[in-house]
Order: sequence, then C-alpha cells, then structure tokens
Amino acid sequence: MTSSKTIVLRSSDGATFEVDEAVALHSLMIKHRIETGGADSTTIDVPEVTGNTLSKVIEYCKKHVEAPNSDDLKSFDTDFVKVDQAVLCHLAKASYYMNIKGLLDLSSKTIADMFKGKTVEQIRETFHIKNDFTPEEEEELRKENSWNLFV
Amino acid sequence: MDITSNFSGTGDYFILALIATLVCSLFFRLLKLPQLDKPRARNCNCNCDCVGGCESMAVTAAARVMNGGGGGGGVVERERHQQVIGASMMEQLVPEITTHALSYLDYPSLCRLSMTNSSMRKAANDDNAWKALYHKDFTMEQDSITPANGWKAYYAATRALVNINQQFFDIIRERSLPDMGRLWLNADYVKCIHASGEFFTGYSGVLGSWQLALNWEPAVNFQVRDVRSRVLPGVAWVTMKAYAEVEHNPHPVNVTNVFELHNGQWFMVHHHSSAMNVDGEVAHQPPMLG
Repeated sequence: MTSSKTIVLRSSDGATFEVDEAVALHSLMIKHRIETGGADSTTIDVPEVTGNTLSKVIEYCKKHVEAPNSDDLKSFDTDFVKVDQAVLCHLAKASYYMNIKGLLDLSSKTIADMFKGKTVEQIRETFHIKNDFTPEEEEELRKENSWNLFV
Repeated sequence: MDITSNFSGTGDYFILALIATLVCSLFFRLLKLPQLDKPRARNCNCNCDCVGGCESMAVTAAARVMNGGGGGGGVVERERHQQVIGASMMEQLVPEITTHALSYLDYPSLCRLSMTNSSMRKAANDDNAWKALYHKDFTMEQDSITPANGWKAYYAATRALVNINQQFFDIIRERSLPDMGRLWLNADYVKCIHASGEFFTGYSGVLGSWQLALNWEPAVNFQVRDVRSRVLPGVAWVTMKAYAEVEHNPHPVNVTNVFELHNGQWFMVHHHSSAMNVDGEVAHQPPMLG
C-alpha cells in the first residue's frame, strides 16, 4: 500500500480533519495554498467554513476523487443535497470559498430547483416569505411581469 | 458563465430572506411574541425595534440552530450574544452564489420569484441574471449592448417579438386572411417582398398579395430556425431561416420581418423572403408563398 501524503484542514471553530492530499486538492483554493505555501504546509486553515460544513465538504470531495466514474455518483450527489435549507446554503458558500466547482454547481442548482414550477404563493409558503409589497408596488409588479404568460 | 456581479449587497438579501423567513416563522410561533404595528413589517410577529430587527432576530435563531441548537424559550439573552456571530455569517454570503443559483432558473420562475417580496424582487430582477438568460434563450449576440431599460425589459420585448413572429407562420399554416390583416400595420408605407421576387407596397396591396398566396397554395407548415431579433424603442426586426415542410419541393428561404410597436402591440411593417443559398447554389425559384 503506498503511503500518500495527508493534509490537515482546520475549520473556523477549530475542528481538524485529516484527509488525503488528493482529496484536499479537489478544492482549487487548497491546491493553490499548498502550491504557494512551501514544503511544510500540512495544515491548512479554512476560516470561512465551520466544522460541520467542512466535514460534509470533505465527504463530497472524497467521493468525487476516489470514485469519479462510479455508477452511483449521480445518486450520491442527489442524496448529498437532501439537507435542510440552512445546511444547503452553507454548502454553497463553502464550495464558493473553497473553489469546488462541482459542489457549487450542485448546491446552486438544488437551491434553484426549490423555486421552479411553483406559483408565487407556493414559493412564499415553502420559504415562509412574507409579502411586503404595498398596493402601488403590486401594480408596478404586474406591469413588470405582465409579458410573462406564465405568471 | 461570468459569475462576477456588480450589484452590491443584494445577494445577502436572498439567502437572508430565505433563512430568516423560514426560521422566523418557526421561532416566533414558538415564543408567540407580540406583533409590532408597522406597515413594512406588518406580517412579522416579532418584538423588534426596526425592520431589520426581525431578520436579525431570526438570524440569531439561525445561528442557534446551526451551532448545535439550544433550549426552547427564554434564551433571548444568549441569542443577543450570538447575534454578532449569526449576523456576520449571513453578511458574508456572497452575491456570486445568488447569481449562480438564479442562472439555473427559467424566465417564468425568475418572474414569479421577483413577485414574492421586495428582497426577492431585487435579487430576481438582477440585470446580469437576465442578460445571461437572454444569451441562453435567444442568442449570444448583442453581448456588448446596454439596453436602455435593463436586460429584463429587453428579454421581455424579445420574447414578445419572437412570439408574434411565430404567429406569422401560424397564420400562414392556418391560411387565415383576417389574422394576417390584423398582423400588418394599416399604413401606406408597409412593404412585402415574397420569395418569388414579387414586390407589394401599401396595406391593401400587401394584403391582396396574401389573399392570393393563402388561397392558392396548399397549407404549408414552416420550420423556423436561427431566429435572431434586435429590439429598439418602437421598432424591431427579426431574421430567420424557414424550411417548408413539403417533401419534394423544399425551397428553404431566408426571411426578414420588421415590426413597429403601437399601443403596446407589435405590427408587421415589412416582410422580405428570398431563396436560400444551399451548397453554393441558389435554390430553385420558390413559389410565391413565403
């Protein structure tokens, strides 16, 4: 068994995670830090991400690095984003900061899918959005969107 | 897709509203705080002293949830302490993520989202999002232009124009002279050049030529491709390639239609059809229709 170099990632709240270098390099931000950080950069701080989120991000990277061509990658991705809205938003943010395009696309698309195909009222209900428009604004809205037959 | 955005601070409204409203309703149903009588925050059941207050209270609740939860009621003190952590976490959420998420939406969803509340309206009316959608749905052309009323309005005008252009071909297929009469502007300067090379000018001349064409040929369905439009205030033109779905006499044509806007409706003022150059040769002279 070949010994591969490991990297320690440290989250904003001090949690540390030891991962294979190959997995860590899935994040282009970490890749850049390692390449510019010198020979001793075995611990990388990720202050923009909390421990809970970082552990999930690492889970994503592991799967995508270790088994990129596996048949269940799609179903892994689908299940991976079956989380509540807060976690999803944290994943999106983390993937942006850590420059992990696949995860950013996945989480952004999942957020977007929550809006698709819903009426205005349904969107409000799903996300508990309160209508704060004045009657004048409602009229402006109507004009802004009247070209859209689907509204 | 270019995910840099030049709108400042609207992205955090998107996620802020998302998380805030979800947790706000859960949290305040739990504590049953009295309703504050303010027009803007009229639907917010929180005992807060400003419009942003409800959101920041919800943010602290969100922080509580995200940091491993806590007890039920009576934790207001701890929440105010955590308020700083929660608020800064929300504020750090970048506009680029919002733009990226919006880029996956189609235009009906984007419109509906903009109608939910004022924060969503700002996010969903983002100019760059509509520019990207325009390039996705219509054409990559016109990337360097700046529409006078913003990209959402430009998208809307283009959508209306493409629809009415399609109606022109539906009218031909249905052979409805009355509809053709309603589509054209009743003016003396309208012109129609059919693929046969015949030229007609003025409303009655043009309609007369269509009367012949629609009654004469068998009903023809056209496949319309490569539709490109350019919209300016009051006038627009569309170019396209039309392929008649007729087996032995295909006669593909290049078509240019020009429209004028009157009372919020587009009217055709010019139509020009010509045989398409296929494989370096000009196709047979096609019949009048088209």
